[in-house]
Amino acid sequence: MTTTVGRISPNFEKLSGEITSIGLNWHAKTIVENSKWNKKHISKTIKNVPMPTGEKEKSAIVISAGPSLYKNNILSRIKASGYKGSIIAIDGSYVRSIKADLEPDYVLTLDPHPTRLVRWFGDPDFEKNLEGDDYFSRQDLDIAFRTNSIDENRRNIALVDRCGKDKKLIICSAAPRNVVERTASVGFDAYWWAPLVDNPEKPESLTRAIVRETKLPAMNTGGTVGTAAWVFALTVLKIPRIAVVGMDLGYYKADTSYLQTQTYYSLRDQVGEENIHEYFPEFVYPGTGERFYIDPTYYWYRSNLLDLISASGSTVFNCTGGGTLTGDGVECVEIEKFCELSK
Amino acid sequence: MSNLLKGNFTVKRNIEVNEKNETDDLATDFRKKALESIGGSMVFVEREKLFWEDPDSKVDK
Repeated sequence: MTTTVGRISPNFEKLSGEITSIGLNWHAKTIVENSKWNKKHISKTIKNVPMPTGEKEKSAIVISAGPSLYKNNILSRIKASGYKGSIIAIDGSYVRSIKADLEPDYVLTLDPHPTRLVRWFGDPDFEKNLEGDDYFSRQDLDIAFRTNSIDENRRNIALVDRCGKDKKLIICSAAPRNVVERTASVGFDAYWWAPLVDNPEKPESLTRAIVRETKLPAMNTGGTVGTAAWVFALTVLKIPRIAVVGMDLGYYKADTSYLQTQTYYSLRDQVGEENIHEYFPEFVYPGTGERFYIDPTYYWYRSNLLDLISASGSTVFNCTGGGTLTGDGVECVEIEKFCELSK
Repeated sequence: MSNLLKGNFTVKRNIEVNEKNETDDLATDFRKKALESIGGSMVFVEREKLFWEDPDSKVDK
């Protein structure tokens, strides 16, 4: 169980809780428009994904793209363990996985962003899409990409062209056109799903509207692609033992200042420098004693995932080796131990 | 602001200052920036169902 060092203030909780409605308003139009446009590309759904067999039906590792993936050498440790279960990469960890000679069985993509996401598959319009956007240069976990983005993108295009053909792509109906076109041109084997973003039993539900439009089954995302990958492993592949890695949901206190976080400037403008600590509560990871802090958005993702774990009645093996994901239904273990016990 | 600036004349037209909106805009702006700055983000308001199929549109492709 994580020890919460800093108090979670009511103001922090309130701000985090409001992200849902803002997110819905922010994304609703894009999700529906993308889903409509993607209809002509939909030939298979996640219900058509062949069920895993043998070792691959017994356990799975979901590879998210948090900084711990590098800091803790997770990919090379999985490779060294000889793990034979299913491997599910998210879009942001796909290239890193194949560079580590770890071939994922599935790649899951979700985000509807029109210019950023395609880069995870090698972006043919990289320089144009990079204009005026410092998102990746600020925080890409792949240092090679931060310092030499254009050359690295060129290498990634070649790598994905070589490895992506017939790879099972678990793609959300909200995916942007450039991701759909890029992955289709590579030859990914696409299985589609709709995002479960609200209660579909309600007549005004956005989920219901998307499902009616696309005829796709809907899968909960918990707000982030890593959580969606876990939901996919549990509900579609029916895999009973699932580990997550790279699921930090927070910042390393030792080497990340508030200024380097994604929300510092907007938070400071809103709550003032003198109150900023209240919005970055700290956690201690029980396995290492390392300290992490969290911002309202990551806290929202974390709460969503913990709620879904609770609703599923299952256990998640967190092999991240750090971060803030601990609580009921989460068992923190070293990746080697998970791989060994999964044999 | 209204505590600092005081007029010594009457304007012809009443101007309504919506102070609440200023605060709301700041909060909304923060949340939008927070969401925009995070990769992989998606809306989420359903906390119980993990998977759902519309009984009326269940068509295996």
